[in-house]
Amino acid sequence: MSSKVSRRQFLSYTLMGVGGFMASAMLMPMVRFAVDPVLQPKGEGEFIPTPQKADDLTETPVRVDFTIKDRKDAWYKSDVSNTAWVYKEGDTIIALSPVCKHLGCTVNWEGDEKHKNEFFCPCHNGRYEKNGKNIPGTPPLGPLDEFMVEVVDGYVNLGKTVPNTLV
Amino acid sequence: MNWTGKDMDIYLLQKEYIDTLVIPLVKVETKMDNMKTSASSTEFVMLLASLIETQFKGRMMFAPPFSYTSSTDLQSMADTTLQDFSDTTFKHVFFLTTDHAWLSQKMPGQVIWLPSIPLESMDAPLRQSILEDQLRQVLPKFTEGWSAL
Ligand code: FES
Repeated sequence: MSSKVSRRQFLSYTLMGVGGFMASAMLMPMVRFAVDPVLQPKGEGEFIPTPQKADDLTETPVRVDFTIKDRKDAWYKSDVSNTAWVYKEGDTIIALSPVCKHLGCTVNWEGDEKHKNEFFCPCHNGRYEKNGKNIPGTPPLGPLDEFMVEVVDGYVNLGKTVPNTLV
Repeated sequence: MNWTGKDMDIYLLQKEYIDTLVIPLVKVETKMDNMKTSASSTEFVMLLASLIETQFKGRMMFAPPFSYTSSTDLQSMADTTLQDFSDTTFKHVFFLTTDHAWLSQKMPGQVIWLPSIPLESMDAPLRQSILEDQLRQVLPKFTEGWSAL
């Protein structure tokens, strides 16, 4: 899979809502509105390389940052940063989206001292088990999404998010 | 949440959870000598605001930035324009700025001041880590405000 992402693919990511795109939305609404309608999302299944080596993963989730780059065009502010919580379960690599299923804050692994071995959302004390399952009695109503995962040359590559398949 | 139609729809349904309003305050300098610094601090505040927004979108609504120039009387801006926000349904109102002049005004909410860092010459990863650092610095001020009520 190519590591380059064309503007078209880039847009397909943002339109699918994978990107932390709201971050830039505040700063560049004009550019975005001018461009969006012209380019429609194209298919699925594009994977983005990350700096994370697959062999270095353990069963403890680590934060992996990756950037969807748009190098072809001199379109300012075109990089979209994104994050995943990645760990190994046996031989399978699992990458969870950090976006809380309550109202969209960013969750952290062991983000609260009182709750070890869980993801924690600081906004309204939402909690999730390691596989992303929301803990009843806390505000989130569903499990954390999963990223599609591929290993290319030893490095973890991440695709689009899909509903959690582990819970 | 951002001040957009879509996010506002969510806010209106989830008012009890999204209880915090953040208003960026940016000084726009009109003198040639100060324009660069002013542009750079505006960039810094807006990038930091958008980072905080992504991490806390379920609890914070971000107003559009309020801008003013050197002849603006800050106290009267605080007493009129900004005062209007204290009548909203938000339980907590924060002002995010790099202009320390706000620290000495009587404000209808809590001022979160931090020094501006020029980000324009940094590459993306460095900029991101600087911003995350700043986020960690200001976070306690938000959480203090939250637990104060
Ligand atoms: S946004 Fe995560 S618990 Fe409310």
